Amino acid sequence: MLKVFQRLWQVNWAEQWQYRANLIMYLLYWLVSPIIYLAVWTSIAQSKGSVNGLTANDFVTYYMTLLIVDQITSNIVIHTFAYKVQDGSLSGELVRPIHPMLTNALVNNIAFKGLTIMGFIPVWIVLFFLYKPDFSNVAWSGILLAIPAMLIGFSVGFLLSAAITSLAFWTTRVYSIHEFYYALMLLFSGQFVPLTLMPKIVQEVAQYLPYQLQIYFPIQLILGKLSGAQILHGYTMGVIWLTVSIVVFNWVWRNGVKRYSAVGA
Amino acid sequence: MNTWKLLSAFLKVNVQMALAYRADTVVNILLNIMWLGWELLSLGIIFSNTETIGGWGFGELIALLGVFRLVHTLMIALIWPNTEKFNQSIRDGSMDYTLLQPVNSMFLVTFSRITVWRAWDLILAAVLIVVGVNMSGDTATPLSILAFIVLTISGAIVIYSLWIVLIALTFWFTKFDNNVTILQALLDAGRYPVTVYPVWLRILVTFIIPIAVATTIPLQGLRGELDLGRILMFVAIGVASFLVASQVWKRGLKQYSGASS
Repeated sequence: MLKVFQRLWQVNWAEQWQYRANLIMYLLYWLVSPIIYLAVWTSIAQSKGSVNGLTANDFVTYYMTLLIVDQITSNIVIHTFAYKVQDGSLSGELVRPIHPMLTNALVNNIAFKGLTIMGFIPVWIVLFFLYKPDFSNVAWSGILLAIPAMLIGFSVGFLLSAAITSLAFWTTRVYSIHEFYYALMLLFSGQFVPLTLMPKIVQEVAQYLPYQLQIYFPIQLILGKLSGAQILHGYTMGVIWLTVSIVVFNWVWRNGVKRYSAVGA
Repeated sequence: MNTWKLLSAFLKVNVQMALAYRADTVVNILLNIMWLGWELLSLGIIFSNTETIGGWGFGELIALLGVFRLVHTLMIALIWPNTEKFNQSIRDGSMDYTLLQPVNSMFLVTFSRITVWRAWDLILAAVLIVVGVNMSGDTATPLSILAFIVLTISGAIVIYSLWIVLIALTFWFTKFDNNVTILQALLDAGRYPVTVYPVWLRILVTFIIPIAVATTIPLQGLRGELDLGRILMFVAIGVASFLVASQVWKRGLKQYSGASS
């Protein structure tokens, strides 16, 4: 099995490397909105002293941590997989004795991440010197706690996205469904703004949804803003959602593959 | 004369294409409404924490959202689908047929695909602008409205010209598939007044990828913040960028050698 992953890694890395110009464009695309939010909120915080207790530095550290966390926990499976169901190129992968989603698509995602991170590090350093954030509240314990949280966040996000992508077995409108899912993500994950600034009802609901596991929970862990009880709650939610997403993905996948009939085969 | 006939023919074809996928159109409109809701909610969240950003109030930001949506519609209804078709035609050589036609090739390449249902976005944008301006309490005089319209058109021409230059680059670098991504990526910066941004970002979106010329500037015109000299300057920039873009396009065409040969 390890050998399989090794070979898949080589293939996918080479494939992604071929598209490095695309990657730079993707990186740019993905960087713009956090930087805009950062600019908007720091300008508000500077003019008012603080927003709901958050200072300009709090916003800078929040969004700069978000850039890292989002890079690690996000996935692009909808863009790299759904079309294979639609144009039939999945057939070749289905006859292999390995799971197409949990091996090839997963490794492809990680290779993609590896390359974008290489492009992302210099950008982050430039931002660091532009904004000079004060990260003195960040402790090693927070970072160590955040690592398993980010792994859970990535796994939950990947499995749920994979489940939605697998809806391509039933409908061609899978991209629209994913767009809706993404809008919920924007609302509940803390991507737009630290969740404490959201309406109360959004905050309440967000606590129980999987979205904050990918963004808000790891960020707050790294920044050392959570109490023991909150950390426990976050991890409990993480384990619950991980279980739920494994079950959901398996169910959708198994039933989807049964329905699959390739075009032109 | 010919241009109008062609344009109406294109519209007709595109309406037929949209009608072939009715359910998709409905889904897309629903998603569009969802995003509008999200945009208003996010403005609401910002303004529940502050009264102004970059010197602009809630009403002004709603109006700005309207102007932003005009540019966004230009992007999504015209630039995106035509670029896709253009890139395809460079790759497979069908660009040859476009060039054989006795019409200005730049016009053909940039107007043959129009996502027609997006037209309703223009109405929505107009509503947002009117409501926003009313809420802000700014007084719009006939003169400032005229300035707004002129500046919006010249801003759109600047974006259109930049687009032409970007896709014309494909003639030199055939593998340049991402020709408009940079435009799309920075488009989001048009949602907020450039006065909020740090200097480097302001320079980027005003001079290099001039999204602000089509969003913040027209609204400044509407608010009467620009004198006649400034307005004329922006109109001149619009005209100049169009002339430059057509020159780049002509040069690019000379580079084109066809994919099949």
